[in-house]
Amino acid sequence: MSIGPGLTADLCLKCNICTSACPVAAVTDLFPGPKAVGPQEERFRHPRLPTPDHSVAWCSGCGVCSRVCPHGVAVTEINVRAKGELARREGISLRDQLIARPALLGRFGVRFAPLANAVLVNPIIRRGLEISLGISREAPLPAFSTSTLRRRQAAHVARVPAPVTHGEGQPVAYFHGCSAEYYEPWIGELAISVLEKLGCRVVLPPQGCCGLPLQSNGLFDAARRYARWNVQSLHPFVAAGMPIVGASTSCTLALKHEYQAILGLEGVTVSEVAAAVYDVFEFITLFKMDELERLRLSSIPIRALYHPPCQLKSHAIGTPAIEVLQMIPDLELIYSEAECCGVAGTYGLKSEKAQVARDVGGILFDQARDVSPDLILSDSETCRWWIEKHAGVKTLHPLQLLAQALDIP
Amino acid sequence: MTDLLIVGQGFTGLFAAVLAAQRGARTTLIAAGRGGLSLSHGCIDVRRGGASPNDLRALPADHPYRIADPAGLPDALAAFHVISAKAGLVYRGALGEDLRLTTALGGIHTTCLAPESLARGRLEDTLPTTIGDIEGYRDFSAELAVRNLARAGIEVVRSVSLPLIGEAPRRDLYAHDLALRFDDPDWRTELARAWKPRLGGVRRLGVPAVLGLRHHPEAIDSLEERLDLRLFEIPTLPPTVPGLRLERALRQTALTAGVRLIEGARAVGLIDGRRGGRRVSGVVAQSAGGPRSYPSPAVLLATGGVLHGGLVARQNGRIQESVFDLPVTHPGARGLLTSESAFGSQPFAKLGLRLDRRMRPLSESGGPFFENLYAAGGVLAGSDRAIEGTRQGIDILTAHRAVECALGEGSA
Amino acid sequence: MDAATISTQLLVIGGGATGLGIAWDACLRGLKVILVEQGDLGQGTSGRYHGLLHSGGRYVLSDPRSASDCASENVILRRIVPQAIEDTGGLFVTTPADPPDFADSWISACADTGVAAEEIEVERALTLEPLLNPRISRAFQVGDCSLDSFDLLHWLANAVRDSGGQVLLRNRVEAFELSHGRVVAASIVDVRSGLSRRIGAEMVINSAGPWARSVAELAGIRLPVALSKGSLIAMATRLVHTVVNRCRPPQDGDVIVPVGTVAVLGTTDFEVDNPADHSIQDWEVDRLMAEGEVLIPSLAEHRALRAWAGVRALYRPPKNAHEVTRDLPRAHAILDHAASDGCEGMISIVGGKLATFRLMAEGTIDLVCHKLGNTATSRTALQILGPSPRQYHSLPTRLSEYESGQTGNPSILCECELATRIGLERSILDDHAQTLDDSRRDVRLGMGPCQAAFCGYRAAALAPPLDPESPVDGGYRDFMSERWRGVRPLAWGQTLSQFELGRRISLELLGADTLPEDSS
Repeated sequence: MSIGPGLTADLCLKCNICTSACPVAAVTDLFPGPKAVGPQEERFRHPRLPTPDHSVAWCSGCGVCSRVCPHGVAVTEINVRAKGELARREGISLRDQLIARPALLGRFGVRFAPLANAVLVNPIIRRGLEISLGISREAPLPAFSTSTLRRRQAAHVARVPAPVTHGEGQPVAYFHGCSAEYYEPWIGELAISVLEKLGCRVVLPPQGCCGLPLQSNGLFDAARRYARWNVQSLHPFVAAGMPIVGASTSCTLALKHEYQAILGLEGVTVSEVAAAVYDVFEFITLFKMDELERLRLSSIPIRALYHPPCQLKSHAIGTPAIEVLQMIPDLELIYSEAECCGVAGTYGLKSEKAQVARDVGGILFDQARDVSPDLILSDSETCRWWIEKHAGVKTLHPLQLLAQALDIP
Repeated sequence: MTDLLIVGQGFTGLFAAVLAAQRGARTTLIAAGRGGLSLSHGCIDVRRGGASPNDLRALPADHPYRIADPAGLPDALAAFHVISAKAGLVYRGALGEDLRLTTALGGIHTTCLAPESLARGRLEDTLPTTIGDIEGYRDFSAELAVRNLARAGIEVVRSVSLPLIGEAPRRDLYAHDLALRFDDPDWRTELARAWKPRLGGVRRLGVPAVLGLRHHPEAIDSLEERLDLRLFEIPTLPPTVPGLRLERALRQTALTAGVRLIEGARAVGLIDGRRGGRRVSGVVAQSAGGPRSYPSPAVLLATGGVLHGGLVARQNGRIQESVFDLPVTHPGARGLLTSESAFGSQPFAKLGLRLDRRMRPLSESGGPFFENLYAAGGVLAGSDRAIEGTRQGIDILTAHRAVECALGEGSA
Repeated sequence: MDAATISTQLLVIGGGATGLGIAWDACLRGLKVILVEQGDLGQGTSGRYHGLLHSGGRYVLSDPRSASDCASENVILRRIVPQAIEDTGGLFVTTPADPPDFADSWISACADTGVAAEEIEVERALTLEPLLNPRISRAFQVGDCSLDSFDLLHWLANAVRDSGGQVLLRNRVEAFELSHGRVVAASIVDVRSGLSRRIGAEMVINSAGPWARSVAELAGIRLPVALSKGSLIAMATRLVHTVVNRCRPPQDGDVIVPVGTVAVLGTTDFEVDNPADHSIQDWEVDRLMAEGEVLIPSLAEHRALRAWAGVRALYRPPKNAHEVTRDLPRAHAILDHAASDGCEGMISIVGGKLATFRLMAEGTIDLVCHKLGNTATSRTALQILGPSPRQYHSLPTRLSEYESGQTGNPSILCECELATRIGLERSILDDHAQTLDDSRRDVRLGMGPCQAAFCGYRAAALAPPLDPESPVDGGYRDFMSERWRGVRPLAWGQTLSQFELGRRISLELLGADTLPEDSS
């Protein structure tokens, strides 16, 4: 689009479709709604004057508003930028600085994993963190792994794209993100195994944190540094014809969209990388269905409640995991009625936002209570941790179920 | 793999998707956003001024009802009844009978089918009526409604102002905010206690349509019981809850029936030039990472009129169909697109795609532009739906007929 | 027949900036003043204006006297009524479509006329205004700023009342009484009630703008005035935050002004006969858009919100009888009819610009005082309008008022412009708004992107309980019709889509076309 997100406010007809879809406005009257803090207030914002914008701080950045707007108003982008501007002006708290850097925390935590994990589940410590920093004591913080994905899968690490050898399978670069690197390397390993089983040759290119938590907390300059580094590191692989596949829907959204639309990165390199990024199920449904159909999928006779993360829906590719999951014999799939589970990345971790975040997820948690699924499935790590904690049901990445059906241990 | 690709998530697109999926077609629905259901009263307007078979057959040949064959209307409406009832929304009324409801302004809305909670307020029913508004809620005024109804000779006993319980909200509430509160049974109980004293002697009470969103029939039924009167709803400014309820119901039904829904993706047409240019091969739609192709043997355009961009008016007076740039006849000069009266008929509202008998947009030469491209709903020419009161009837009938034609095509 | 006679020293006819400025200056000099205005504040030319408080840069070559007057008045107005002014600054730029050497003669004429202007790097101008045509070759900063005329008129009216004057709105002059070749009284009629009154005055000031001609005719005087209509377009968002002018001889559509939440393109200029001719022609719209595109190449991608027209009264003395209105000087003329027409007791003031209203008022009352033997001098250059020293208005002001009021839930009726319920109630109860359009001028109701699609109903609901004479439909239909009038010339793109939404609400949700005819 040739006009920036702020100027898409022009397209707004004030119809309130976004307001009625917003999961945060639905649970709290502290938030006037995306239309109000987005295109409506945008008309009162001046690039060189401070704008009073406290209401916009309640926006969780979930992306539902942009997605449902029929006119193309970039509501989420307007709000995220306004939140960033607000944070920049008012100063960013130590808490936000910390939770915006999962890679930094990860590197530290992996080194001291058992101790760090014990500390983080200690209720007294958690209470102290809530009082001192404002990290909600209820918020599920993931456990650090004792070793990183890249170390465990060193054979797959590639600093540069290798020349294609015939017969080796389609080369695919896997963007693991912080969660698979520091917290859940087994997810990364499953992704590699699944892709290999579908005939791909998977490499782990150089990469860093996607930067989305930095962006969500208003640290735009830092986010841009991470973004540029990722783009530079990934581009050679893209230029060599490799798709970039990721299993974390927030990382892949950042690479596909946020770098340009919110952080304002421009140029051929950024857009080439963006065009080459795929969510893993998107990749499978677009390119690997023939292979998948040839494979034998084992029966998984359970009831699973699938909650597509709001960030996945913002990809505007639908919910490709459903197409694949529907191929698993005897699997009963129920679809979440909730727009958002509530955590919205780091939003639900904040003590002042935690109740709102829980209320947002209420639809999903109530539905889980009503349908009693054996499992809940969701493609984003922060969603999984949050849902498992609040719904009290084991929550997996759909990849884990697919791996099971493919008899991948 | 898709058998039918539908573009547009308004009433037409959603209804068509449900029909197609229920007929066993693998259906994909792509939409730039959500449609206009939350901007509507949730009723099915078929035609102000008469919707008998004779009335409809007497319409001009290029009217959407004529194109889609008015004889199909009973079946189409029956299909709607089944779908809505299964989703928990009961509709009252019948084809050929007028159902007259009051509006928030005290005007008269003449419709064919109305949801139960609205239909309970039909003006044909002479039970004495009170209209109540909710204190602090800016989108509905009982007094304004009563004044105008009285001026039209419709007697309403009185207007009453009803309190909202709990802490004063920290911002203005929309209809759906209130409706979500009404979903809570405990809240309803307490509210009924607060309302009862002000409703002494009231037999029938009309209130803004906010009585529950997700737990709707229960909300109004339980309130009726507690207040011991007949309760009905009147639609308010958008987001209009009866329309939202219908939209939710259709979306859930579509998803459960296996429709693949891709939301947030604006479409441009994909034409396979290699096969002679007489067929479309699908659409290309924007996604976060760039364009994605969605091939399909049949495409149904349900992109609507000028409201949501199915048709776009240019400064030079041209009207453009936004996905395939299909021909749209227009008067030429920009000034001829509109008329002076804000409440009268508007030339632009009648512009759109002309179709053949199989619901396919026509080319200038008179044949279908593409063999496998269909259209339904607001993108069609021939009716100023706001003035004629034909909006949802056209959506339903044209969707029904277009799905028939599109799937019939697939089996060839 | 006649109800009552009121006596006063000065009767001022016309409640625009000119008339109110005159009344205010007179009050400060101790004169007893009554001002009558046939409509609501701002229904005339002052309320239809571009929003530009000139630095004078526009006139340095074509009308140097105007330029100097604007330059000095700009400084004064910034001091006395900053709250109605946004200090946007201004730019003069040479676009590829402008004569490249014009800038040199322009900048030296600025020096000659006392208009402050400073050349800046093109890069700096483009950084300030990212949507500006990247191919501009030169850029100059000037002291243009934007003025909310409705605000100004309200402050002036309050000041008149506070200093002992009377402002009678919705009262029209029907006839003058002459005695021995002297105007001694006027007969006025209340437009709503039909009640007539007689006002006896020592001096009558005809500051009725485009209606000055017809007012003068009531006294048998022929005013040398030409009426020129100019159309303007407000773009829905602030495409620029600085006033941007084309550096060329003044023509149609060569300035874009950020006023409040919109950016105004203007203006055309051609002669009309009817002082209330507010029609917009399609060619005017296309012309303004085309000229605007020279400054903002992406203009067509943005929403044109609303079009309106204002009629200016320009002084056209016999020696300029054949000039087109575009070329007539903008300088004002104070006409003492005792001298020119043998009619004592009446002075007309014609022409001029809103930017120089205070100066026009000063000159007029100097003459009046001279004739009445009053020796007081004007104090308006020093007197702050309003109760205390204020700051400039800024774009986020309304938003910060809304955000800071969060704890008390100020209910917002017009969401687009953040107009509150309380503000609307006050406009009906205190300011005696009789129609929703009057309220619009008070609180900006319905002036935003949705053009009253939502607030029309909300405001109509508010009116009847507060105003017993409110129409049955609360004024809803008249207001929505009036909104459409200004939207229709721009009926394409999102503007047409917006009207379609408004139409669905009015017709399908509210059934506005099913109300009995006489409800409005």
